[in-house]
Amino acid sequence: MELEELQSAWTQLSDELNHQKKLTNKIILDMTKQKYQNKFTTITKYESLGAFVCFAIAIFVLVNFGKLDTWYLQVCGVLTLSFLILLPAMVLTTLRRIKNIDILNGSYKENLKFYLKTKNRLLKLQQIGIVIGFIGLLFIVPVTSKIISNKNVFLTSLKKEQYVLFAITLIAMVFFCKWAYNGYLKVTQSAQEILQDLE
Amino acid sequence: MDKQEVFTNLIREHQALLYKVTSIYTDNKEDQEDLFQEVVFQLWKYFDSFRNNAKVTTWMYRVAMNTAITFIKKKKRRPDSVPVADVFINQSDYKDDVYEERLKLLYLHLQHLNTLEKGLIFLLFEGKSYKEIAQITGLSDSNVGTKISRIKKKLKTNMTKQ
Repeated sequence: MELEELQSAWTQLSDELNHQKKLTNKIILDMTKQKYQNKFTTITKYESLGAFVCFAIAIFVLVNFGKLDTWYLQVCGVLTLSFLILLPAMVLTTLRRIKNIDILNGSYKENLKFYLKTKNRLLKLQQIGIVIGFIGLLFIVPVTSKIISNKNVFLTSLKKEQYVLFAITLIAMVFFCKWAYNGYLKVTQSAQEILQDLE
Repeated sequence: MDKQEVFTNLIREHQALLYKVTSIYTDNKEDQEDLFQEVVFQLWKYFDSFRNNAKVTTWMYRVAMNTAITFIKKKKRRPDSVPVADVFINQSDYKDDVYEERLKLLYLHLQHLNTLEKGLIFLLFEGKSYKEIAQITGLSDSNVGTKISRIKKKLKTNMTKQ
């Protein structure tokens, strides 16, 4: 193949492509938005999976609510259900709002203002989630213990191994929360930079 | 016409240009989709700063090629992208084996060039003069000439080897 043939193949390709006007306005605009939305794709996947697990456990607790036979276990049950349903739902709603900011419409100032407001809300929800996650052990453990093994932990003294397991869980939670929260900070910061780039 | 409409019309009108730039700097469909999307985003990002003081295609070539260079440097994992392949699934609407073979060879030879060489030969194939190539790449006219003649030699050598 000669150089002139390369040139001619290229020209033929160009001519052909010039006749293919298949990109629609929607595809073009989606491409522009996608970069921003991609920032939240991974987080949304993990949150959706987490929410699914929470909702599944909530259904399990709800179905077995009758096994909680004292008023304080029932209070723990209600708190557990609230934690398992409300928090994931609020996080997913906030994520959806932040992901759907229309970066092509609205002024830059409006978008950034809305983004910062929603981002703060999202981070605040995560902080609340972390705190409740730790406090939650106090009401989730009695509920699950009662439902699964019919033991009232308020009336039973824990064994040494159970204390150790509890401590390990707490330590693991500290590291996990730190890692997850840092991930959130990175993603939201990076998305904010994309918005600022559009200034 | 509002800004969005002007922008989308511009992209639609010059989509072939973007397709060609993204095709020479990538070697698979996924990367091409990512790069195509990145180029569209960068064009949108700098659309306001484009003041019609340069020819629109010169500006588009420059943004697209700079984006491609940055893209291949990063060469990170692919996030979700809008499928460009659906748009350009077949370069040819009619099946022509000879043409397909020539295209394959063309891309094969281009893959042997480095980033700058690819860009220069691409612009030459696009029918740009040395002056226009210099404007787009930021090289001097004479430097463009020297480099292009070296690239031609390199291509010829590669072609005779195969």
